Amino acid sequence: MLDNFYRYVVLNAGLLGQGLLVTLQVCVQAFVLGVVLAIAVSLLRVTGRIPRAIGTAYVEFFRATPVLVQLLWVNYVWPDLFGFPTTAMGAGVIALALQTSAYLAETIRAGIEGLPRGQLEAGRAVGMSSLQIVRRIVAPQVALVMAPALISQMAVVIKSSTLVSVIAIPDLMYAALKIVNEWFEPIEVLTSTAFLYFLLIFLISLAANRISDRFRARFGLAV
Amino acid sequence: MTDPPATPALSVRNLHKSFGPLEVLRGISLDIAQGAVVTLIGASGSGKSTFLRCLNHLEQPTSGEIYVDGVPITDDIAGLRARLGMVFQQFNLWPHMTVLGNVIEAPLRVKRMPRPEAVALGRRFLAKVNLLDKQDEYPARLSGGQQQRVAIARALAMEPKVMLFDEATSSLDPELTNEVLAVMRDLARDGTTMVVVTHEMAFAREVSDRVVFLHMGQVEEDGPPAQVFGAPVSPRCRQFLSSVRA
Amino acid sequence: MFARLGQSLDPALFWDYRATLLAGLVVNIGIFVASAMLASVLAVAIGVARTSRNRLLRGVSTLYAELFRNTPEYVLLVWAYYVLPLILSRMLAHKLAIGPVPAAILALGFAYSGFMAETVRAGLLAVPRGHREAALALGISHFDILRRIVFPQALRRMLPDALNQYVSLFKATSIVSLISVEDIMYQVSMINVEEMRPLPLYTGAALLYCAIIIVASQTIQALTRNWHRRGWA
Repeated sequence: MLDNFYRYVVLNAGLLGQGLLVTLQVCVQAFVLGVVLAIAVSLLRVTGRIPRAIGTAYVEFFRATPVLVQLLWVNYVWPDLFGFPTTAMGAGVIALALQTSAYLAETIRAGIEGLPRGQLEAGRAVGMSSLQIVRRIVAPQVALVMAPALISQMAVVIKSSTLVSVIAIPDLMYAALKIVNEWFEPIEVLTSTAFLYFLLIFLISLAANRISDRFRARFGLAV
Repeated sequence: MTDPPATPALSVRNLHKSFGPLEVLRGISLDIAQGAVVTLIGASGSGKSTFLRCLNHLEQPTSGEIYVDGVPITDDIAGLRARLGMVFQQFNLWPHMTVLGNVIEAPLRVKRMPRPEAVALGRRFLAKVNLLDKQDEYPARLSGGQQQRVAIARALAMEPKVMLFDEATSSLDPELTNEVLAVMRDLARDGTTMVVVTHEMAFAREVSDRVVFLHMGQVEEDGPPAQVFGAPVSPRCRQFLSSVRA
Repeated sequence: MFARLGQSLDPALFWDYRATLLAGLVVNIGIFVASAMLASVLAVAIGVARTSRNRLLRGVSTLYAELFRNTPEYVLLVWAYYVLPLILSRMLAHKLAIGPVPAAILALGFAYSGFMAETVRAGLLAVPRGHREAALALGISHFDILRRIVFPQALRRMLPDALNQYVSLFKATSIVSLISVEDIMYQVSMINVEEMRPLPLYTGAALLYCAIIIVASQTIQALTRNWHRRGWA
């Protein structure tokens, strides 16, 4: 077993390491794009009735479709429909970003709706303008509620990213499956890969919980 | 007052209870006669509630013996609990069962009573606390005072030797307190053996046969209400009484 | 763009392959039901263990829940399909194969048992201590307390959350095609190989999933609202 571990995992560490780098690259890009899209959709949802309906339809559609289905859809259908993405990498990033943006937009909405109305009224009562209320009262609290949610969404992105191997993006999962198909010795490689993913995601979730607990203790927020 | 020659309903010998390094009960011995109404008074932290919870092993005593009707409690904790009725400060009715369902649950599960018999029994005790008309309601629809009266009926339905009341009126508004105290007064008149932890000094004075003042986990003063309230021997008891009167 | 989408979303294509697609959907539903049952049974056991007073039991069950909550479903799926039979064969000293369908059920069932154990734990912890104490004070046994007092209340509190977990689980069944289970996505890919028309096929698949999930979650929301109104959940 140790012998196999050396032969298939240690000797392939370079390949797996490269895969891990691709995984992180996909995840970071998808995450950043997802945050930008989430803010855009959230703004859309507070500008009027029709934009709100479009924003809600967007959120509902991407939350209700499995990541794999979206990935294949973006990869095979979008180039035909919109002329992009032109690479598998682009398709992977976009599909994960769409998913992320839909979930984050929901969190933002819940954060805003969760604010007690009295706080806004208190702001108005002391003569603050709407902009000041948003900037000084709403935004900071939504940001506090969002911080743990953002971090745990990062964990979700990493989980979903395992699927991009399906469209031949050479991520960690792809590298592991490649080694398995080459040597037909799956035990050590797949177990190590599973453990690596677990560790990555567990540490991120742990960080999210810690921050959530700290905010709850310090600000009494129900996050 | 002299103890009747009969076996006490409840006997406690040298009861100790510690939470970690903190000794809450430091050797309490009490005999509760059949039909007696005993109130336990004392400052918060004096160990009154812990004492009551130790009696039916909701808290495990560190040492000491408990006898119900002269029979020592060794390992049949469930049997002990079935013979001691307990009423809590927070009522603790089960919200997913109707009022009648709450009252007949223990007779059905613990005494394995047939359902018709349990229902008849339950209705009898609901009538006793004047809530027969609410038997099919869920607890959430009742006032606090009504909920506490149901909780009393629930404890009575097991026909216990002794009823324990743990600050049964402390979480009620004053106007709801009276309806619960009235039920407790009725029980006392019917000869129910009762141990009552309370802040209601008027109730202690009027209804009980005996008042026990606890201080730092020990019995500091013990006697009929006239003596304890009128001429307490212990200076601490005197101090406590003047603080609650003020 | 929308005209193009409308043109290519040729309903006749789906009608031609209706039997194959339906057979695929039935496979998804079958795997969903089996893994949901497995996940629920495991989740109740782990959830109860997580609220236990026994430290060892609590530690082991926490480890279990964290392990399955934080490992990607696809990785578990591949592991159950490739690695699990090899390890079991070695342990039993007897060649053992696990087909794609059982592997999918095991992987999804264990993955979701981790999430659902959290739901069970939260439901159990939400039952006030006093409700147990009142039952203890009446001499009701631990088993009856769990069965009659704690579970009925915990169940109501955890039901909305658990139903949402089931919806996620159904969504997750889409990945079983990756270990060649012949589910709906597998059939869509096969039809695509034949017809070479990814646009209508993958768009149709996305819309189908979307419709199923939205109907399911709207139903759950309506039910939950109704329960809240009745003071249930």
